[in-house]
Formats: sequence, structure tokens, C-alpha cells
Amino acid sequence: MTAFILRRLGTLVPMLLAVTLLVFALMSLAPGDFLTPVKAQRDINPALIAELQKSFGLDRPWYEQYLRWLGNILRLDFGYSWTYKVSVAELIAQRAPATILLSLCSLALAWGLAIPLAVLAAARPGGWIDRLTSAAAYFALAIPEFFLALLAVWFAAQTGWFPIGGLTSLDHDFLPFGARILDIAWHLVLPTLVLGLGGVAGTLRVLRANVLDVLRAEYVTAARAKGLPEKIVLFRHVLRNALNPLLSTVGYAFAGLLSGSLLVENVMNYPGLGRLVYEAFIREDQFVVLGSVMVGCTLLVVGNLISDLALAWSDPRVRYGR
Amino acid sequence: MGADLLQSLLRRPAGLLSAALLLLLYGAALFAPFLAPTVPSAQDLQRTYHPPTALVWEDGRVCVRLYRLVDPSTAAYEPLPGQAAPLRWFSGGPSYKLFGLLPAKTHLFTVESPAVVYLLGSDATGRDVFTRLLYGAGISLGIGLVGVFLTSLLGLTIGGLAGYLGGWADSLAMRLTEFLMAVPGLYLLLALRAALSSRFPSDATFLLIVVILSALGWAGTARVVRGLVLSLRERPFILAANILGQRPTVILFRHLLPNTFSYLVVAATLSVPGYILGEAALSFLGLGIQEPSSSWGLMLGQAQDIKIFMLNFWWLLTPGAAIILTVIAFNLLGDALRDAVDPRFRLPGR
Amino acid sequence: MSRLVFLALFPVFISACTKPPPVAREEHSLPDGIDTARVEPGRRGGVFIQSVPGEPSTFNPLVSEDATSGGFIGLFLDSLTRYNAVTQEIEPGLATRWEIAPDNKTFTFHLRPGVRWSDGNPFSADDVLFTFQAIYDPRYPNRSAFDLSVDGKPFQVEKVNDLTVRIATPEIFAPFLEYVGGVGILPKHRLETAFRDGTLQKAWNVRVAQHEPGTLVGTGAFRLRSYQPAERIVFEANPHYWRADSAGVRLPYVDFLVTKLVKDVNASTLAFATGQTDAEGLSPDNVAWIERFAKRYGFLVHNRGPSPNTGFIWFNQNPGRDASGKPFVAPHKLAWFTDRRFRQAISHGIDREGIVRGVLFGRGQPLWGPETPANKKWYNPNVTRYPYDPARSRALLAEAGFRLGEDGKLRDAKGNVVEFTLNSNQENQLRVNMATVFKENMRELGITVNLAFLDFGTFVGKIQDSFDYEAGLLGLTGGGDPAGGMSVFSSQGRLHQWYPNQKSPATPWEARIDKLMSLQLRTLDYATRRKYFDEVQKIMSDETPYIYLVTANAYVGLKDRWKNIKIPPLGSLVWNLDELWTVLTP
Repeated sequence: MTAFILRRLGTLVPMLLAVTLLVFALMSLAPGDFLTPVKAQRDINPALIAELQKSFGLDRPWYEQYLRWLGNILRLDFGYSWTYKVSVAELIAQRAPATILLSLCSLALAWGLAIPLAVLAAARPGGWIDRLTSAAAYFALAIPEFFLALLAVWFAAQTGWFPIGGLTSLDHDFLPFGARILDIAWHLVLPTLVLGLGGVAGTLRVLRANVLDVLRAEYVTAARAKGLPEKIVLFRHVLRNALNPLLSTVGYAFAGLLSGSLLVENVMNYPGLGRLVYEAFIREDQFVVLGSVMVGCTLLVVGNLISDLALAWSDPRVRYGR
Repeated sequence: MGADLLQSLLRRPAGLLSAALLLLLYGAALFAPFLAPTVPSAQDLQRTYHPPTALVWEDGRVCVRLYRLVDPSTAAYEPLPGQAAPLRWFSGGPSYKLFGLLPAKTHLFTVESPAVVYLLGSDATGRDVFTRLLYGAGISLGIGLVGVFLTSLLGLTIGGLAGYLGGWADSLAMRLTEFLMAVPGLYLLLALRAALSSRFPSDATFLLIVVILSALGWAGTARVVRGLVLSLRERPFILAANILGQRPTVILFRHLLPNTFSYLVVAATLSVPGYILGEAALSFLGLGIQEPSSSWGLMLGQAQDIKIFMLNFWWLLTPGAAIILTVIAFNLLGDALRDAVDPRFRLPGR
Repeated sequence: MSRLVFLALFPVFISACTKPPPVAREEHSLPDGIDTARVEPGRRGGVFIQSVPGEPSTFNPLVSEDATSGGFIGLFLDSLTRYNAVTQEIEPGLATRWEIAPDNKTFTFHLRPGVRWSDGNPFSADDVLFTFQAIYDPRYPNRSAFDLSVDGKPFQVEKVNDLTVRIATPEIFAPFLEYVGGVGILPKHRLETAFRDGTLQKAWNVRVAQHEPGTLVGTGAFRLRSYQPAERIVFEANPHYWRADSAGVRLPYVDFLVTKLVKDVNASTLAFATGQTDAEGLSPDNVAWIERFAKRYGFLVHNRGPSPNTGFIWFNQNPGRDASGKPFVAPHKLAWFTDRRFRQAISHGIDREGIVRGVLFGRGQPLWGPETPANKKWYNPNVTRYPYDPARSRALLAEAGFRLGEDGKLRDAKGNVVEFTLNSNQENQLRVNMATVFKENMRELGITVNLAFLDFGTFVGKIQDSFDYEAGLLGLTGGGDPAGGMSVFSSQGRLHQWYPNQKSPATPWEARIDKLMSLQLRTLDYATRRKYFDEVQKIMSDETPYIYLVTANAYVGLKDRWKNIKIPPLGSLVWNLDELWTVLTP
């Protein structure tokens, strides 16, 4: 088991290298660089711009810049954001928790809603629950996320039931601990719904299909023949087996949420990693981009690892190590 | 096999309905210049944010009401009582090129100026939304189709070779696809867009978007094909072909791959929505199709403005409805196809 | 101690929400040199909430390069002079008065006695000296160093005594007082160590602001209380501020200034419209629906008149060649672009009134020259105008040798079809709309315009580095002293977009503009400078190298409950935030 884990984590390194190299090369291909908007302002002296270029190392060819960055990484120096003049590690550490929180909540929502709905729907295929949830799922998968986010903002403004954006209220720091948790939760409702809706729909469809498959299996008929109550059959036998294929996609789902939150965070003003990375991309703030891409990849690999381990734990037929 | 597929599809109502809808949409996109009363660039600064013009029945003909501007600060228009202009059918209008090739001037319906017919209102510079929607259909739907075609081609080749050859080719291909699926999608999209946009002339943005989206999408298809080929490889008829001494390329292209086609069709149909939504997201961020072309994503992105909701310019949101409709149709069709081919078939990663 | 008082009372304030008890503020004796604000005396208390679309990248004025950071820095750092945005005059700041020597190059500033920093330490000329030292130190390249120099030579700053500073400019520098007003004076006692050991540019970065806000010390009306990245910044009243009202009550009246960081303009507009913020800049097309909420949430929408932002189209008149010898602009096209009649004809062919009416809902006006009416001090209304007149366009084009062909396309005297590509950046929706209108307007004249939208970086690269474009559409933020536009008007300037970095002026009128611009820089007399700059504006509108388009009106929404509002034509609505007060409803 440990060997398996170590091997998996070992694949992380070449992957990170390849991904960062690719992203860096692509960014260098893009015309302009971090200093371009600075150059366009009408009262900045060209000598100052030349000095800034030198200090950022932008006057060197891209592979040299990449190697320099790589060298710094080995010394655990993730570089420096040119926009904010703070270390990348700190910047990401500041923003990442919000995005991770949002992603986890969306995942929880997706699964929390999808599992019972899928079981209920599959228990009576063609019944009204099945039709309703199917229709809703199709619809939810079709709405562009940014549009849904704007609808949510408009809804929040019209009704006043939810905040229009952000993660905390003005008086957050002064609230007692319990109230603070509630405050954050209240702000999380709409972004989670927007981000999670697609997840619910997708998971629902796959899970429903899985459940239908499993229901046809022989051991289910055997369990029913044994006289077990339907509820136990559904939830103890069918569900556990139907969930297995889903577990292996958790890693991808999580990573997908990280990049998907970009649009939602921008429209709903959520202070997370997505906003940071998008701005960094647009401004060509290299080290921030590279740092967050690394974080994204790492989370994917770790996520996949966790889901594989969960799979191994839940399904005795699956065992690793060769 | 194709005929079987078609038959089983036609037996399912959902599949039938969605197939019909999609045919309608693509047909409309193809004949857009004919169906539209004007061209997408025809602006009218006197009639910006005009609501859809009401159609009335007068003197046995379909007529369109005339309006006047009541309040410029909120773009409020009021119909002029009793005044309407008749629609002319199969009449001459602004010239266009059908399918981009055949010059023509006939439109399904137009109205004589100075009257205008806005089936879905007008936008910020007075352009007809209905016309732009039709022309935009060509672009958005086209991106879906071309993108999926490219992806399938790439996925088929690489996945097929990987599955059949095995060994190092397989490992290489699999690492490559894992790598592509590991990179956070939207970021790679942004990076590719930034890098490539300067190398494509601006009227080739369509091609640029397709290339970018395909570059990310082929990985999934390749894995599917590989899985299929792996399972097919051990089948008796393949082993027989081997024993008979047929060359590997022949086995691959004549026996293996054709058997994957039905699965491929299902996978392709189910991935088109990804392209349409991807194009919408890119255009929303300002990185997709540019003015003055129109695409559904671009139009929806431009309507992403709170005043549209507050001043009730609801017609500017119709591209959103079009996107939703198309995506649902493709998903329904894909599911129906999948049920017809093999209900247990799953796409990776989702 | 006072912190605990705050902490104790603040939650009570918030939870009660409509009936806040008076928040106890530290009280210190007023300085000798107290500045008395000429306003109606008001009452202490209240929280002012606003939103801002950007994020500060730093709180260090030596590092800041963007307006957002600059705005926040200006809240807690003061300068020698203050700018009255309403009268557009320069008023005393940390300096109570100044004398200009007869040579017009030496300025003696008398500093305000008794002023203290927000941490209680006394302010003196040492701080002023330190600030300029830091600015000019080559270890810390910054924008001010270049702005506060003439031909590369820095100003000479010397301390006469604890309360007097003398600054000498190497040449007569017209915008001196205005520029000096932009230099925030830094606390020597806080930053000297960083200055000495070379880490000055790392000081007061966003991390420090977040974890140790108390170290950001200034003399401004507010001091930083807390900073939550991507969410909000909270400033509190500076108990050592050097201004008070006529009743002896120390300013600012408000206890807290909360700025929410909201990137999406839809969200911030909605937040204002539903009463969650106190002030917000509004775009003209939103005004109509926002006003519907005015009564319910108690705010007013103020029309500030035309904004200082310009939008214009220009043609690439650069006759140079690239590295491979290919000319930047095809010679036959260059011939069109350099012909004044062609440019004027195009200008007459643009339906500016239509854009204002249709796209801006009537809330804007056509622009004819480089300054908008918002810049009251420098705007010249008597420039040449080009109302929408396609007939006149055709006449001018005919005069210049262009003929309309059978196919409806315009051709020049040699038979070339008139066609060109217009570039702009896609991030700005108004510009996109103007470009599409322009294209259609030109089609009526028989001219084919191809629109190519690029992202900002690519676009800037084309117009400043490769010059590989034919026509461009852009905007500049205007207002302010003409000296700020040197790089635009001067033929050697980098932002002289149609033909930058000229070695010698290419045309007589550009030479004349060069002369006028350098003349206006070398005198301190406003009337004379005004005369020169008026002529520059007239020439720009006659020759029309920039074809100006429209400017939108600037609207701002503000909650009724704030008193002492003095709305300026330019700049922030709440420029006099320290004088604003509100009645706290019982």
C-alpha cells in the first residue's frame, strides 16, 4: 500500500514539470508581458520601464526565465508576484482556502443531492421522480455557468435574502465564533448552488445509470429473495456498488471545480484562487500563474490518490500493488 | 450497422424529438442568410434596444407594427396605433452569399423601409437580434460540429494505435492523455488562446477556437477508443484475422476501428455540448468570437449586463435559451443513441 | 486601551444596526497649526461604505503604479499641498504657505506646526527630506523620480529648519506645485531602517497591511485598520489628523471608511442600487433603472457632466520601415492617412450624435478635441467641430481626388480601393460599439473597414513596438495639467500615437505644437499657459490626427444622508471625505 502511494506521488513530479513547462512556454508565446499595460500609460518614463524589465528578468529569453524559476523552486522559493509584491506562496495560501472551501461544499452538495435522488429515481424507473430529476438534470447541464451566476446575483439583489457576493460580512471580525461560521455559510449558499448545480446533474445521471445496472445484478435478486427490506437492499447493497465507479472520478471532479470556479468567482465576487489566477493570466504575472497551476495539478493527483484509496477500501475486489 | 442505429433511434421519442430539433437548427443555420430579413451588421442608431415588433393580421396579410421612441433614457418604445407595414414574402433585400458561395438577394420575408421587422428586438446599436441569432447559430453550431469532428479524428487515430500496438506506444499515449486531462482545463484554454491569437488572422478566430477546444478534447475520445480497441483486440474475429496473416494496418482500419464507430458517434454527440459551452465561456471572457461576427456565446456575453434585467430587455437573452435548447437536444440525442448502442457505455472522467 | 473600547462597542453598534452608540475615539490636543475646514460643522459618527473594482497591489507609494493603489495610499498619506477638486486650486496641506522666488525655480514651504503622525510621533521637515531622498535614490526606481525631474535632473531639496523646506527645480517647471501635491510624505521614523538596508520597496506591501496594519503610519485623515485581500479594506479615523471644523471638532467626522473590493461592475452597481453602499460611479446606461430604487433606499444620482475620458480613432502615419525593410503602412494607404482632407472627411462621416443617443441613451456628448469639458481649467470650447454630414465628407473626398465607383466602393486617384483595418481592444464594450458604428458609417461613404479586436497586450504591442497596423481606436483618461500630456502632443513622445518618437517634427503643425508645449512648460503664469494650450487644442482639432468620438457623462450615486458633499467636475466624488458627516438615525 505505501509503495503504491509513493509511486503515485512519484508521478507528480514529471507531471508538474511538463505542465509548468507547457504553460510557461504558452505564456511566453503570448505577445506582450507583464509590463505592457504599464507601457501604455501616458506618463511613465521609458527609462523606468527598462529598469523594471531588468528587475523582473523579462529581458532574458523564455527558457532562461523558466530555468531560473525552476532553480528557485528547488530551493522552495516559489517566486514573487509582480502585481502584489509578495511571495507567491503566501498569496496562494491566502486565497486557496476560500476556493477549496467552495469546491468541497459544491462537491458535498452534488453528492448529497445526487445520491438520494438517483436511488429514488432508479428505484422506479420511468416514475415521476425519475422523469422530474432527469428533466431537471438536462436543464441544469445546459445552462452556461456564468449566466447562472449572474442570475444568482440578480436574485440576491431582488430578494435581499442572500448577500450579493464576498465571503464575509462587514462585521465578521467582531462576531462570536458561532456567528462567524454562520456568516460564511450564508455567503456560501449561492456560489455553492451555482457551482454545484452542474455537478449534481452530472453525478445524478451517472449514478442513476449505475444504480440501474446494479439493480439487475444477481446478488440483488438474491438479497430480495432473502427477504431483506427494500431500504436495506437499496442503500446497503446497491448503493455501495453503484458508488464505486463514481469514487474514481472524485479527483477529476475536484480539479474540474477548481478551474470551473474561475467564472463563478469573477461574477459573484468570491475572494478565491480563481479570481487571482485569472487576473494573473491576463496580466502575465508569471510566477503566480505557474504557482497556481502547480497547486491545481497537485490537488488533482492527490484527489485521484484519495479516491483510489477510497475505492480500494470500499471495494474488496480492488487491490493495488503488482 | 448505421441503418440499425438509425432505426433504434427513431423508435425512441426523446431521440426522435432531439434529432428533429437539431436538424431544424442546423438547417436554419445553413440557410440563415435567406431566413433572416436583413444582414447582421445592419445597424440603426435610432432604434437601439428596440423590443420585438408585434405582428398583426391586417387586410389579409401579416403586418408589423410601427413604433416610436417615447423615452430615450430607458429606450422605451410605444406602438403607433393603427399603423402597420405589411411583410413581403420572398422579397429582395440586402445581398448575401448563400453557403458563402452563391450570391443572392432573396429573403424569406422583409419589410419595406423605413419600417423594420424585429422578431426578437434589436441590440445596442440597433441590429436585428433574430438575424444575428441565425448567423450566430452557424458559428456556434459549426464550432461544435467541426470541433467534434477534429477531436474524433485525432482521438480515433491516436487511441486506435495505442490500443492496438500496445507497449510503449500505449504508455506514451496514455501518459499524454492523462497529462492533458490533469491540466486545469480553463487555464490551458486561456494560455493557448493568449499564445495562438496573435498567429491567427482575426477572421480566422473561428478556426482558432476550434483548434484550441479540440486540442483539449481529444484526450477523452482517445481513451475511449483505446479502451474499446483493447477489448475488441481479443475477440475471435481479430485473432482469426491475425492468424490469416493480414497486415496490422488492415486489421486496424478495416476491422477494429469500424467497430468502434457507433460508440464514437455516441461519444461525439455527448461532447458537442462541451464545445458549445466552451465557446460561450470563452466569448464571455472576451476571448472567443469577436465583433462584428456574432455567435451565441458572444451575444450572451454582451447581454451579461444588469441593465438587461432591470430594463427588461429580455430579448437579448434569447441566445442563452438557444444554447440551453441545443445542449439539451444534444444530450438527449446522445443518451438515446447510447441506449441504442450499449446502455452500459460510459465516458471517462465525468 | 482605546482598541478595547472600540472592540467592545463596535459589535454593539453593528448588532443594533440602526442605533449605534457614540464610538469613543482617542482624543488628543489639536496642533497649533490646525487647519480649519470651511464647512458647516457636523457631527461625529457613522460608517462610509464604498466599492472599488480593483485591488490594491501595494500600500507603498514608491512602488504603486496603478490608480487603485494610489487611491488607498492617498487616504492615509498627505502631501505638502492639497488639491481642492471643486475650485481646482491648490490649497495648503502639510505646508501652510509657500513662497516662490523671483527666478521661479525656488520654492520655500513653511510646514504646519504641531502636526503628528498617526502613531503620535511629531512631524517635521526631516520627514519631507527623507521622502525626497527615498524618491531619488537609484536603488528604488519609481514613477515620482521621473515625474519630479526636469530633463533627468532631480530637484534640490534642503531643510532650512524644522518647519521650513526649500525645493529648487533645475529649470522653470510649470506643473511643479501640482506634482508636488501628489507626493505623499513618508514617516522617517518608520521607514528609515528599510531605506538604509535596501528593503524600502518591500515595506508596506499587502502582506504587511494585512498582518500589521498599525505600521502604516501617515498624516492623512484615515489610518488603516484592517485589510482582507479580495474582500474589503477598513480605514478608521486618524485621531491625530490636522484638520478640524470651526467648532473645534477634529475631522474626519466618520468613524470608519469601509471599501469593498468588488471586481464585477454588475455586482457593485446592484449593491449600490439596493442600498448596501454609500457611493458608486454609475455608467450612463444604468442610470434610468437605478433611479427607480432611489426613493426606497434613500440615494440620489448626480450628473457630473461629461467625464474626462476621451475616445478617438487615428490612422498610422508612420512612414518608417520594419527590420526587413517593409514599410509599416502600405505607401498608397499612407498617402490617404497623411492627407488632412481624408481625415476630416472621415470625421464628418461619423454619426457621433447617433452614438450618444442610441448607445449612451442620450447621456453623453460628442468630442471634438483632446480635452473634455470636464477639465474646466484647460478646456477650449472653440475648436473645430465635425458634425455628422456625409455630403460634406463626399465633397472633401472628391476634393482630395477620391471617386465613388460603380460598385459603390470609393477609390483614390490612382484607382486603389479605399479599405483599411481598424484595431481596438475587446475589453471595452463602448469601444466595441463605437467601432461597429464607425464601420457602418464608413460603408455609406463607400469605404470598407475591417474590424480586428485584439487583447490589450497585443494591441499595445502593435501601436508602440511593431507599428504594424493601419488604424486604431483607443481612449485616454484626460483631465489634469497639460504637462501630463507631453508624451502625447510632443512629436518625440512615445504616446504620439500616429507617428511616435520622431527625430524631428514631420509636419509644420506638429512642429508648432512642439513649440507651444515646451513654451507652456516654462512659465508658471496660468493665463499664458492657457493661451498656448488653447492653440494646441485648436491645431489638434483642425488637423485631426486623432478623430475624437464621444465622451459619456459621468454619473455618481450617493446616499442622501451624507452632508457637506461638494461634487467636483473631475476626480473622486468623495474627495473631501474628511468633511462628510451624517445624521445617525435614532
